[in-house]
Amino acid sequence: MSQTWLISGSPGCGKTSWILKTMQGHQGKCGYLRLDGYASKGLEQVSDSGIDKAFLKDQFPQLIDLSDSHHASRSQQGDLLTLIELPQFQAPQHAGLTDMDPRVKNQLETLQLHPDRHLHFGRDPELPNKDTLEFKKLESFSLSLNTSVWDPPSLNTFWFELVNGAYGDVYRAKGLMNLPDGRSIFFNWIVSQESSQFLPLQEISDPNGRPRSLSELVVQGKHLDCLRIQSTIDLCLLNDAVLEMHQMPLRDRQKEALPST
Amino acid sequence: MHHAIISCLHANLPAVEAVLNDIDKQGIDTITCLGDLVGYGPQPNEVVELIRKRGIATCQGCWDEDIIDGLNACECSYPSQLAERRGHLAHQWTDDQLTDENKCFLASLPTSLRRDRLLFVHGSPNSQHEYLLPDMDAFAALERVETAGADILFCGHTHQPYVRELRDGSIRVRLQSAEHGNDQGEELTLPMRKIVNAGSVGEPRHGSTNATYVIHNDATDEVEIKEVAYDVARTCQAIIEAGLPKVFAWRLSHGFEFAEQAEDASHVCER
Repeated sequence: MSQTWLISGSPGCGKTSWILKTMQGHQGKCGYLRLDGYASKGLEQVSDSGIDKAFLKDQFPQLIDLSDSHHASRSQQGDLLTLIELPQFQAPQHAGLTDMDPRVKNQLETLQLHPDRHLHFGRDPELPNKDTLEFKKLESFSLSLNTSVWDPPSLNTFWFELVNGAYGDVYRAKGLMNLPDGRSIFFNWIVSQESSQFLPLQEISDPNGRPRSLSELVVQGKHLDCLRIQSTIDLCLLNDAVLEMHQMPLRDRQKEALPST
Repeated sequence: MHHAIISCLHANLPAVEAVLNDIDKQGIDTITCLGDLVGYGPQPNEVVELIRKRGIATCQGCWDEDIIDGLNACECSYPSQLAERRGHLAHQWTDDQLTDENKCFLASLPTSLRRDRLLFVHGSPNSQHEYLLPDMDAFAALERVETAGADILFCGHTHQPYVRELRDGSIRVRLQSAEHGNDQGEELTLPMRKIVNAGSVGEPRHGSTNATYVIHNDATDEVEIKEVAYDVARTCQAIIEAGLPKVFAWRLSHGFEFAEQAEDASHVCER
């Protein structure tokens, strides 16, 4: 029998990680959808950047993407477990969908999704709550980095400075970052954690020019100096010539490793 | 007699003033400076002029060399693209600010200073750009001191103060001769040598924002590493007012270097 769960919570509380763990523990098929969250007084949301879906899809390749209604209709079939992620600052007062934001309800109806369970981080004891923070004010900044490739040691320095407050009081930061060797790394940090999580994606691009996979940075906090974040990133990204310098020896090594016919 | 050794001032006037004040209070009037008077910090002329006014014996640091000889003196020492670009920016700013007179002074500095068995250099006897890190291979460290003909080598450049004693050193040479068909060997036992790193006055990197320097006792060879608090906020304000990158102020106020440093102790500039 299929089940549809709506999982909501504030930024960085662990929604995506919990969803991945739940999918990995489920015997049958799994579907995933991320809904747009909405800003409330002084609290800005980040529009769906696709980072969470790209990360989940990489870690759980059999995941069914329910972001279009064609696939969404399949959520009613078989033993599919559908997990819907919703960024939401405040916990709904009542269980169920009765006092859910009408805009969220509309999104669900458009996709013909009818959750039979709603869990909210910080409210429901089934979910971990150590990273569930109550924000009073939150600015959000996101930057598409598609086709960009980082100089790896510069990325380390930039991330260190970012999460330690060089560009404002950062509470939450995540990103998918491309490296010259074709790897893409999921960077994940919340102020309640002592250190960042760096997870290499399983899918590795050929070291041949600029990657096509999604790459994006999301930062949330207070007094964010977005211009300086962007100008520092500009100093860290590789131009075509330097990228080729990194990639050429990797391609040569790949050729040498191929068995001769 | 006690003498003081300072290094890596990096155009940080409040830190230099605080350290010189601390040295003066102890009645020490012999001071040696191991270079890097300029670079990253906001007061290059003020710092150079203070050192000149005090008549402090100074050897040339890597930044002092780069300002005179051009930035390409050692591009290979940057650990990242970001550090390189920030370094270029700071270099250009410093180059624009420094007066010709102060540039001439930096150009006139020797790469090393020697007082009897004491040798003073910025990085290593090989190069202003080479790092003698505290955990570098003992043989390589001993080789640097021995070939320079010193008992104690005073250096800076790493921004981490330390005293390293190299005891029980020996070098064995074995020559196999095909002509005579036998091995000829010789073993040279060396007395204790010491490397003393003075840390940094203007850009500390030892886990705190305090400036560091060292005091050496000529008679006993005892070395004391000193830490001096200074008005970090004043320097940070000057960095911002000068139009240098704000991140330099942030890094300094947290006890980090202006730009991260190469960790490769084996790095030798091949220029």
